[in-house]
Amino acid sequence: MKITRFLMRTQHAGWITLFVKTPIKPSCFHAALLRPPIPRICIGQEARWIHCGSTVYKDKPDNSDLSKLFENETKAKSLVTHDDLFERTAKDAKNKASFNRVVDVFNKQDIRRRGHVEFIYAALQKMPEFGVERDLAVYNKLLDVFPKEVFVPRNFIQRMFNHYPRQQECAVQVLEQMENYGIVPNVETKVLLVQIFGEKGHPVRKYQRLMYWLPKFKHINPFPVPFELPQDPIDLARFSLTRIANDLDAKITVYQYPSTDVTETGEEVTQPHIVGIQGPEQISLLAKHNPNRPVFVEGPFPLWLRKTCVQYYLLRADLVPPEERVQDEPDPELVGPNQCLFYPWQIDLDLSRDMGDDFSYDVEDVEEGPVYAMCMAGQGDQATLARWICGLQETNPILGRIPTVFRLESGSRELQTAADVQHDSGQNSQSGSEQEHIIEEEQLHSQRMKQ
Amino acid sequence: MAVSRVTLQTPAGVCGLFRRQLLQPSLSHPTILSTRSIYGEYKRPGQPPDKRWPWEKIRFDFSKGVEGIQKHFGLLKDEFVGRLRGPEGRPLLDHMLEQTLVQWEFRGPESLDQWVVSSDKEIGGQSEAYLKLGKNNTTCMLYGTLCSVPPRDGETRYSGYCTLRSKQTLLSFDRKRHFDWSTFNTLYIRFRGDGRPWMINISAEMYFSHNKNDIYSYFLYTRGGPYWQEVKIPFSKFFLSSRGRIQDDQHCLWLDKVNNIGFTLGDKADGPFQLEIDFIALCIDRAHTEEFAYEKFKRNPEVP
Repeated sequence: MKITRFLMRTQHAGWITLFVKTPIKPSCFHAALLRPPIPRICIGQEARWIHCGSTVYKDKPDNSDLSKLFENETKAKSLVTHDDLFERTAKDAKNKASFNRVVDVFNKQDIRRRGHVEFIYAALQKMPEFGVERDLAVYNKLLDVFPKEVFVPRNFIQRMFNHYPRQQECAVQVLEQMENYGIVPNVETKVLLVQIFGEKGHPVRKYQRLMYWLPKFKHINPFPVPFELPQDPIDLARFSLTRIANDLDAKITVYQYPSTDVTETGEEVTQPHIVGIQGPEQISLLAKHNPNRPVFVEGPFPLWLRKTCVQYYLLRADLVPPEERVQDEPDPELVGPNQCLFYPWQIDLDLSRDMGDDFSYDVEDVEEGPVYAMCMAGQGDQATLARWICGLQETNPILGRIPTVFRLESGSRELQTAADVQHDSGQNSQSGSEQEHIIEEEQLHSQRMKQ
Repeated sequence: MAVSRVTLQTPAGVCGLFRRQLLQPSLSHPTILSTRSIYGEYKRPGQPPDKRWPWEKIRFDFSKGVEGIQKHFGLLKDEFVGRLRGPEGRPLLDHMLEQTLVQWEFRGPESLDQWVVSSDKEIGGQSEAYLKLGKNNTTCMLYGTLCSVPPRDGETRYSGYCTLRSKQTLLSFDRKRHFDWSTFNTLYIRFRGDGRPWMINISAEMYFSHNKNDIYSYFLYTRGGPYWQEVKIPFSKFFLSSRGRIQDDQHCLWLDKVNNIGFTLGDKADGPFQLEIDFIALCIDRAHTEEFAYEKFKRNPEVP
């Protein structure tokens, strides 16, 4: 219903511009409207339109910018006016300054702020386009478009009923958009709303709700992500790897910085960045890995940081079958915080205090293979990741003896071109003896594919 | 031409109403009788109202009756036998001494039958969500694509959600079975996600039918990465919302008649998502004594 009303309004506006501009004499205009089948309401509305039209054509010599705009409007004969105001005023650049300029132009256009509800709805829609959807000052400026002290209810009857419902709905919509983008309003917003709609209007209620709930949930995320992610891919990789590793002891190594070289033949070679993370526990786990079993490079897996998605790769192994598992003896040198120095190291006491003190969960554990390292790279192809494995061998010499199998999803392989692949394979052969095992695994990989 | 447009379009409310009454005078059924108008069921924008009589929706079939009798009397028998064994079919000692309760676990394909996946396709959106078992058939993997483009029906303003929700468990003769979690105070979930925030929704049975849209919700933040995450959420933190709006007067969740639990994603980041759940359990956190995390006193100025 709201929308139909809105459409009706816009159609009316278009009809006026059409009608007034066509050279019809006023007499026949009235005659046409005063025909019997039309209800009387029409006449009143018609009078208002004419009035509206006259204000539209009022020339304002003090503002040349505005008069230019109106000239444009008369030429365009458009139906929707406010979208066009945004389009025309901010032709060159769409930023905060131009958005504010549009709002200023509208404010100076008419002292009665006619059509401000439509203008605010149009502005709300245009805000993401201008990149100001997260700017509190802009929202306050939009609320400032409402005329002050006109919509404040003056007696109890007006207060009881919904006073100026469309304007209140519109202001609530502005606040709702603030809510959706997670912007907490400030005192200026409240002062504006109280000035416009009075102490107990719906927009002020909405403001109170926002001020109650938004600060409660503002810092609730235990893994916070900044709104502005770091631009440098290495910083971004560092941030996301520390997030997913969940290990304060883990060390981040940058295996390769991004660089662009020009070779002798003149073609440009871009080296993607490779950033890896590995914790001390993972190193010790990898040292215990049975060299006869392969390790796998898997990926890419997605990680969402607000609205951006980054990809990471894992070095992991399959689950060790139960017959090969070694029960490691507790280290006698290692004294934990809850171990007593005067007793033998392994105390086999049933420490449960009561019948009901079983706090474990009655489910079978999900068993998965261990994760040995994680990395993020600029390219997800096999050569780049092989360079990561080479870099890992400095801290984990056992990797030289373990076969490595690449299980990369086909989605990322499609992105690289054939020339890249040839070039990468050439680099592989150059990098020497360390690459031998990887070439082996490529064969292993191809065997897997054949199976 | 202009005149005809005037007559058709200008008197928006009056003429529109009048025309509607004139052109559709023969409503086949009075709308008061349909359950939809009584309970205010959600009608998708653009969909015609269901105008069938209530008996037209029932399938009269002999084989269906036989199946129903077998199923319901079987359930009734289980109920009686279980009652003999102890409360909720378990021995009394177990029931009295339990500190944790695993309510939902995913250990086989039949465990997925207890869940319903839905997305904004129901309101005309374009998101997709699917449910499958994890790699070694011991977890539940919810995956799909989120797309927050609202449908072009002129009414819907926001779109883009995907939901996993547990089915209402039923006793014999289609009576609702509620979970009684009143001895626990904390929800325990083991899961891993991809960094997106989710929302946990719990709906409980209330006395009045106008409370049927009430849902208690809280957030579930995922870390992302290959490691499992274990989260304990006290029930006191869940806040009341109805039809997607947080309510002004909040009350704590009554845990004695819980109907179902749901997970919702709607973070407006278009793209693929996944959430892997190992199990959902309840536990008692003795250190947590908070009854309700939000203010229950009358606010000043009071919000009506």
